[in-house]
Amino acid sequence: MSGLSLFQLLNGVTFAALLFIVASGFTLIFGLLRIVNLAHGALYLMGGYCGYAVASASGNFFVGALAAMVCVGLAGLALDRGLLRFVGGNELRQVLLTLGVAFVVNDLLLVVFGGDTFTVPTPDFLRGALHVGTMFYPKYRLFVLGLGIVLFCVLWLMLYRTRLGALIRAGVDDPETIQAMGINIRRIFLLTFMLGAALAGLGGAVGGAFLTLYPSADAEILVFSLAVVIIGGRGSLLGAAVGALMVGLLNSIGQVMFPEFAYFVIFGPMALILAFRPYGLFGRAA
Amino acid sequence: MLDVREIHSFYGDAHVLHGVSLSVAKGEVRALLGRNGMGKTTLIRSIMNLTPPQVRAGDITFKGESLRGRPSNEIARRGIAIVPQGRRLFPSLTVTEHLTVLKPASVTTGWTVAKAFELFPRLAERRDHYGNQLSGGERQMLAAARALMIDPELILMDEPSEGLAPVMVQHLESIILELKAAGLSILLVEQNLFSALAVADQVTVLEGGRVVYEADAQSVAHDPGRLNRHLGVC
Ligand SMILES: Nc1ncnc2c1ncn2[C@@H]1O[C@H](COP(=O)(O)OP(=O)(O)OP(=O)(O)O)[C@@H](O)[C@H]1O
Ligand SMILES: [Mg+2]
Repeated sequence: MSGLSLFQLLNGVTFAALLFIVASGFTLIFGLLRIVNLAHGALYLMGGYCGYAVASASGNFFVGALAAMVCVGLAGLALDRGLLRFVGGNELRQVLLTLGVAFVVNDLLLVVFGGDTFTVPTPDFLRGALHVGTMFYPKYRLFVLGLGIVLFCVLWLMLYRTRLGALIRAGVDDPETIQAMGINIRRIFLLTFMLGAALAGLGGAVGGAFLTLYPSADAEILVFSLAVVIIGGRGSLLGAAVGALMVGLLNSIGQVMFPEFAYFVIFGPMALILAFRPYGLFGRAA
Repeated sequence: MLDVREIHSFYGDAHVLHGVSLSVAKGEVRALLGRNGMGKTTLIRSIMNLTPPQVRAGDITFKGESLRGRPSNEIARRGIAIVPQGRRLFPSLTVTEHLTVLKPASVTTGWTVAKAFELFPRLAERRDHYGNQLSGGERQMLAAARALMIDPELILMDEPSEGLAPVMVQHLESIILELKAAGLSILLVEQNLFSALAVADQVTVLEGGRVVYEADAQSVAHDPGRLNRHLGVC
């Protein structure tokens, strides 16, 4: 059993940043809109492949990431308007429906991209390593960390400092009343759903550059996102950040110190937290 | 302005409103009275098309246009605001956000945050408090201020005096008179007869989902006995 080096600690924190990007979208959809979207991992993978294809073709990583957001946001539109609205409010049906969608999307991606692994090409200036203290650390992973922090700030400002954010919060508190005040709440919720999906797409493009993309990567990221949101508390942005940090660090600790129990190191503490705080660290009863 | 004609409303199979008709004219305050469970809230919700209940028969028109079956956000946009029973404030929104969420602060026509705070100075002091951190009186003020932000022509108020101290009820009466003087129409659900009579032009009493009494305020003042018989002891 060896101790955790700074390098591994940074790996945990940068993985946490990626988890936050994906889980922030998940918490918008699962936490705020109360939609159990088990296709979130599939949306991540779709974003990854889309980012890979566009970034390779255009030679620009950022164009690829943007394309992934747009494409997956539109997939979210189709999913919400085309399917989810028929099972509104019924969690079991949402679970079955979105799980089915996840399988279908996964198979379609397998048909198009095959079973090989891909890595989204990163821009030149993010290749290589940066001097951090006494060691060298991959620049790209530090970029992901920065992106996660920026995204947290942007989402926080959007939710708590804009009218759209106030509309979303009011809609989550009491959709009937805000609707009776003249607001088309369905449209606000659809926009939120698309934003959540787009964040999964962004996560796919960004994560596809250092985790690699392969056909079952969606299930893995879905399980991690679930853990993040359940630990942090449904619908809490701060909860998603803290949850991501915990899961990212526990994942590093598990891999380094208890490789046989890597999953247990994440889900053991999660079970413990749920035993004492059933709504997660920052969650509250619906 | 508002005309409800012979509506029948149901909760599932339970028939709750049995052919209720009622109208509110422009600039008029109509009090809707009745004991607990007589169907007052059901009528308000039927007008806004909030479900349940389901309206299965009858018609509701506002300024000559039918509202039945329209989504409630559209009904609100046509100029009907609601102050729901129990206030229904948003716990995650501050006082100011309750107002700006309905009308961006950049819009300067009609009711604005500044005007609402002028009418309810108390809310200005509480502007950064959340909906669930207010006293009962403040909550009611905020529910009323929120309704004004959509620049309504008609306000449906469901038991605004419920749970308020007498001094707050008086304040509320003066606000209602002020709004009426500004030309607004109000349908005011009340259990408190005296409070209702202090502001109403017309009075309607519901009993068991039917209109059992209707009169203008003067005739009520001349013969309060008839009204009292319908309401039980008030
Ligand atoms: N959601 C519901 N489902 C089934 N029945 C309901 C529902 N809401 C109200 N009712 C019934 O409909 C009838 C009328 O209720 P309503 O709420 O309209 O009364 P109210 O006059 O507003 O009473 P209160 O003064 O207590 O608010 C009551 O018998 C009540 O039990
Ligand atoms: Mg009622």
